[in-house]
Amino acid sequence: MADETEPKKEDAKPEREKPELKDMSDICPIGKVLVFAEHILGDLQPVTLELLGAGRILADKMSQPLLCVVAGHELGDIPQRLVEYGADVVYVADHPELKNYRTLPYRRVICDFLESLPTQPHTMLLGSTTTGRDLAPRIAAHFDTGLTADTTELDIGHYEHTSKVDPTKIGLYPNCLYAIRPSFGESLKARILGPWKNPQMATTRPGVMTPLTREPGRKGEIIQVPVKLQEEDFRLSVDEIVREVSKGINLTEADVIVSGGYGLGTQEGFNLLQELANCFDNAAVGASRKVVDLGWIPYQNQIGQTGKTVRPKLYIACGISGAIQHRVGMSKSGLIIAINKDPEAPIFKFAHHGIVGDCYQIIPEMIKQFKLAKSTSGVKEVVGTH
Amino acid sequence: MASGFRIFVMVKQVPDMGAKAGLNPDGTIDRARAKRMLNPFDKFALQAALHTKKMYGGSVTAISMGPPPAVEILLEALAHGVDRGFLLSDRRLAASDTLATAYALYKTIQHVGEFDIIFCGLQTTDGDTAQVGPQLAERLNLPQVTYCEDFSVKDGNVHARRIIEGGHQVVIAKPPVLVTIANSYHPLEYKSFRGAWRVQQLQRKQEELAKYITTITLDDVGADIERCGLKGSPTIVAKTEKVGEIGGSCTMHEGKSVDELVKEVITNSNVEEYLLAGKS
Ligand SMILES: Cc1cc2nc3c(=O)[nH]c(=O)nc-3n(C[C@H](O)[C@H](O)[C@H](O)COP(=O)(O)OP(=O)(O)OC[C@H]3O[C@@H](n4cnc5c(N)ncnc54)[C@H](O)[C@@H]3O)c2cc1C
Ligand SMILES: Nc1ncnc2c1ncn2[C@@H]1O[C@H](COP(=O)(O)O)[C@@H](O)[C@H]1O
Repeated sequence: MADETEPKKEDAKPEREKPELKDMSDICPIGKVLVFAEHILGDLQPVTLELLGAGRILADKMSQPLLCVVAGHELGDIPQRLVEYGADVVYVADHPELKNYRTLPYRRVICDFLESLPTQPHTMLLGSTTTGRDLAPRIAAHFDTGLTADTTELDIGHYEHTSKVDPTKIGLYPNCLYAIRPSFGESLKARILGPWKNPQMATTRPGVMTPLTREPGRKGEIIQVPVKLQEEDFRLSVDEIVREVSKGINLTEADVIVSGGYGLGTQEGFNLLQELANCFDNAAVGASRKVVDLGWIPYQNQIGQTGKTVRPKLYIACGISGAIQHRVGMSKSGLIIAINKDPEAPIFKFAHHGIVGDCYQIIPEMIKQFKLAKSTSGVKEVVGTH
Repeated sequence: MASGFRIFVMVKQVPDMGAKAGLNPDGTIDRARAKRMLNPFDKFALQAALHTKKMYGGSVTAISMGPPPAVEILLEALAHGVDRGFLLSDRRLAASDTLATAYALYKTIQHVGEFDIIFCGLQTTDGDTAQVGPQLAERLNLPQVTYCEDFSVKDGNVHARRIIEGGHQVVIAKPPVLVTIANSYHPLEYKSFRGAWRVQQLQRKQEELAKYITTITLDDVGADIERCGLKGSPTIVAKTEKVGEIGGSCTMHEGKSVDELVKEVITNSNVEEYLLAGKS
């Protein structure tokens, strides 16, 4: 069974003699860009600001306004904050039953809202969070429209469709959403399109897109939308919400991440990494999926496509090969130093400094020299560190 | 619910990326040689299904869509203790995206019969979208619990703990409901010797096996062909590209003594700026 992320044969070889392709603008017209804003108990989620940043670029490319929709109750200054982060129009669905995210009531208001619009937005973006990945597929299925999961890049561009599977679809689509994501298990990126129907939908990884700088006092339209919930929307109730205060430094907030992979050889290797991390200010320990799967370190520490996306100032990768799924989670780090004994390891293709050698020789030497560097640069050691 | 729950579990066969056999040196998959396996996430769903049956009674039906070899994972599920399996297999399903997959699975479920709880894996390791579960729930007009990591039944209601950003939620729902199980749920228990042995025996007698595993086609389930496969898929992979070299060129440090290598990196980068308490 072929998958979404596999190239489909029809597209592999473009036709030799290309007939003039029909312009399909009427099927895939330019349109507005809509971002679904996410919050937990009134806390606007960072991914929402990132989506507004990404959405702004797409909207500007089509010279269209950027819309945002938010559902909740007593949202305070959230709608205005969304405007200050780039939205031109914010639609607010306010209802006591929308206070906490729940699939069915949210699905109801978002689908009703979309149906109430005179024309569908061109693009709709949600975060690849537990909320966005819960809601987006339901909306996409309701509208029978395409949805691409976990995108890492977005763009608008043209597409020539020549596949004969459905002759009615052959033509030139001038403005499609390019939803780009890493393809499975391979060092490939897949560009996924769904220009047959608006809204073209995508979820985007938190931590990947760049938010705009807040523009205090920016003016935008804030519009209340009617909320009509139905009895069947309450088939599931939320009993309790627990927010766990994370122990130690949060990976996504750390300035420095020291990360370990299968090359460490044993679980104990992470003690050495912790020691290295201790040399730095605001540092945390990360890991590749392979060692998480082996149970050497908890899932919360996993970096990559199915783990966290991080962007520290400094990333030190120890015994990590640098598979695409790991890379998408950390490649935007400020300075990447990789230690690997294989000079051909893929991580050396995108690290800034590569050290070819054994972790167990390099890391202790690093710790030694970092300690030395600190004492010679006049920095006082914190008294009493054991 | 005198006879317990009618439990369905959705399982998919995926290529085994961990196995060296199916991997080319450049990391791409050699499909001809690639090993096949039960989607790792679906093992957690299978565990949830079997555990629910064990605790509250009922039956477990495993359902899969895929090419004929996918029958292997239904046999595996049978060995683990599911009661029966259905494989939807049809060439016209080729190149289905998640929406077309969810539609075909929806028609299959309607064909198989009534249910109380459907368990899915959170996501597959090949499609890797986590979309099929919720899209299936939409087609079946069901409430859903995604990212479920704990599941129990009290007074006929499902109690489920699901992961949310920076915490978790506890939700309650009356069946029918669709649940996607996260990999923080309990791992799948080993199959019993008896289970494995029974399946081995069954494999020897096709007509016996056919009582437990049924292969069906799109015609059997009465699916609209226009909504299946490539035609029924609103997304298309237009282009794949090798990921280009990013982050510029890597300065390599090699072939020197360990202390020289480290010294070289320290002098040529700004790594010192991040040392504890920073430079004053
Ligand atoms: C759908 C999907 C999602 C995935 N998601 C993620 C994800 O989120 N995050 C993730 O990380 N991976 C993910 N992966 C897995 C990914 O493809 C790789 O398998 C994984 O990142 C490899 O981990 P590794 O680098 O630790 O191990 P390996 O690839 O085994 O690399 C180990 C490296 O250590 C080096 N080495 C060995 N010994 C030493 C030593 N003594 N000193 C120095 N170097 C040494 C070796 O040369 C090698 O390069 C995913 C895979 C799939 C299919
Ligand atoms: N072909 C399939 N057959 C049976 N179940 C599937 C299939 N594809 C996806 N699923 C189910 O949907 C879940 C999510 O898959 P995906 O959206 O591909 O990540 C999987 O863990 C399975 O439980």
